[in-house]
Amino acid sequence: MSAVLEIRNLALGYPEVTLFRGLSMDVESGSTLAILGANGSGKSTFVKMLLRLMDPLSGKLSWPDGPPKEIGYLAQMTEFDRRFPLRVRDLVAMGAWKGFGLAGRLDRVTSAKVASAMGAAGVDNIADRSLHTLSGGQLQRALFARVIMQDAPLILLDEPFAAVDQTTEAHLLTLIDRWRDEGRAVVLVVHDLSSVLDHCDNVLLLGNGEACHGSVDAILTPERLVAQNYLSKSQASWMFRASREETAHV
Amino acid sequence: MFELFSEMWSFAFMQRAFAATTVLSASVAPIGTFLVLRRLSLAGEAMAHAITPGVVIGFVVAGLSVTSLLVGGLVAGMVAAALTALLARKTILRSDASLASIYLIALAAGIFILSAAGSAVPLKSFLFGSILGIDDASMMLVGGVATVTLVSFAFLLRPLIISTCDPTFFEAQTKRPWLIEQAFMLLLVLNLLAAFKTLGTLMAVGLMILPATSARYWSSTITGQLGLTFFFALASCWVGLTLSYLFPETPSGPAIVLTAGWFFLISVLLGPLGFGRRWRKPSTLTSTSLAQTSNEERHQ
Repeated sequence: MSAVLEIRNLALGYPEVTLFRGLSMDVESGSTLAILGANGSGKSTFVKMLLRLMDPLSGKLSWPDGPPKEIGYLAQMTEFDRRFPLRVRDLVAMGAWKGFGLAGRLDRVTSAKVASAMGAAGVDNIADRSLHTLSGGQLQRALFARVIMQDAPLILLDEPFAAVDQTTEAHLLTLIDRWRDEGRAVVLVVHDLSSVLDHCDNVLLLGNGEACHGSVDAILTPERLVAQNYLSKSQASWMFRASREETAHV
Repeated sequence: MFELFSEMWSFAFMQRAFAATTVLSASVAPIGTFLVLRRLSLAGEAMAHAITPGVVIGFVVAGLSVTSLLVGGLVAGMVAAALTALLARKTILRSDASLASIYLIALAAGIFILSAAGSAVPLKSFLFGSILGIDDASMMLVGGVATVTLVSFAFLLRPLIISTCDPTFFEAQTKRPWLIEQAFMLLLVLNLLAAFKTLGTLMAVGLMILPATSARYWSSTITGQLGLTFFFALASCWVGLTLSYLFPETPSGPAIVLTAGWFFLISVLLGPLGFGRRWRKPSTLTSTSLAQTSNEERHQ
């Protein structure tokens, strides 16, 4: 595994508030990184920085192979206009929009890629449906297909399972595993401690002015989750007691 | 009846009016479509008022000419658009409140200058346009603006679609996302100026918005939206002009916009995305999804 991005002694925040400081880590190709933290801990700000929409307060970011031309990105759904008159196949094709000709015409190769991406995400059977007729899960699958079209070495997914059912989540997780196996770096913002973390190699836990990076087992300990204000003491003890009992039961 | 139409076509001023509104319809169709889709329908009206002081100053300084209209209107429009964007990006105000503040100040300034200039300003022509008295320079203005608009849209269409549908994704993909917004506002101002001369300040936005909102009830694709918006705009102009010829007391600008209003009413009642879907066999999926979307919007 090689580093797509090297982060050294990073401080992130806004002029009036520092969210965290002193973070040094690598974002590696062929790995999945989960970003976890309470509200306001800096998860979305970190994603913005990776997208180069904002600069860190201090520290150094370096891209060993040069900044990627394309960063795959799935944003939160807050500003997405579901009533926009587009079909699913048009939404998926957006992922390759930089290569389009005049008036956005698709060539035969791109059309074939769109069909393949829709098949992989399981939306090929609804390719001609309008966006406003889709369920939350169908729309999220279509947005994953758009990420496939971006064909990027670094993929950022901001809370991708916030409004999808378990079946859809399981299917989308197979796509994330596939991207990792293809050697892409996947960064995944998650809000809850869930089975999603089983698919991640590393975790970045944000909160209480700190940023801790490491393997999932090393970082997600009750003590650390409480120290970084992700869980209260009673939540942590209940959760880990339940987890131990479940393991013993199995 | 045939003789009546034949007589109408024989007048040079009617031929010019039909030609000008046909070209204008092609030009304002994409602008109107994206004003509606970007939830800027009222911003179009606000911008029409915001460019008033520039147009009036242009008139006072250089007389009623296409050049004075174009220069004065463009400067005022772009200053208003830039100030709105600046306030929305750098201060607590959202873009609708910023534009409302700027356009109210501009409108008051325009009326103030208009009053100070006295009776020299042809107020009625300014408010309602003069499509039946359109001169060569105005025809050139409409043709030039239509050419610039349609060529620009060949390049802007895809980024505009993405920035409208998924602005967060678009911002992550481009270094200067605001450029698209500003280019669109420039095209809006140009089209308002072209429509000013023919339809007047009060009616100019009508030909942009009503055909676009009508088309919204019929089509679920952007191509269909653009095509139908052009069709409704063109039909409104032709029917409106014919009505204004048949009934000489009818002013042409309001006749065109009222015709567009009829198309809107028909679309609301019969369009598959309006009440029309209620008259058809119910599609559970579509109805549920629309209701679901509405609920989600209410919760946000």
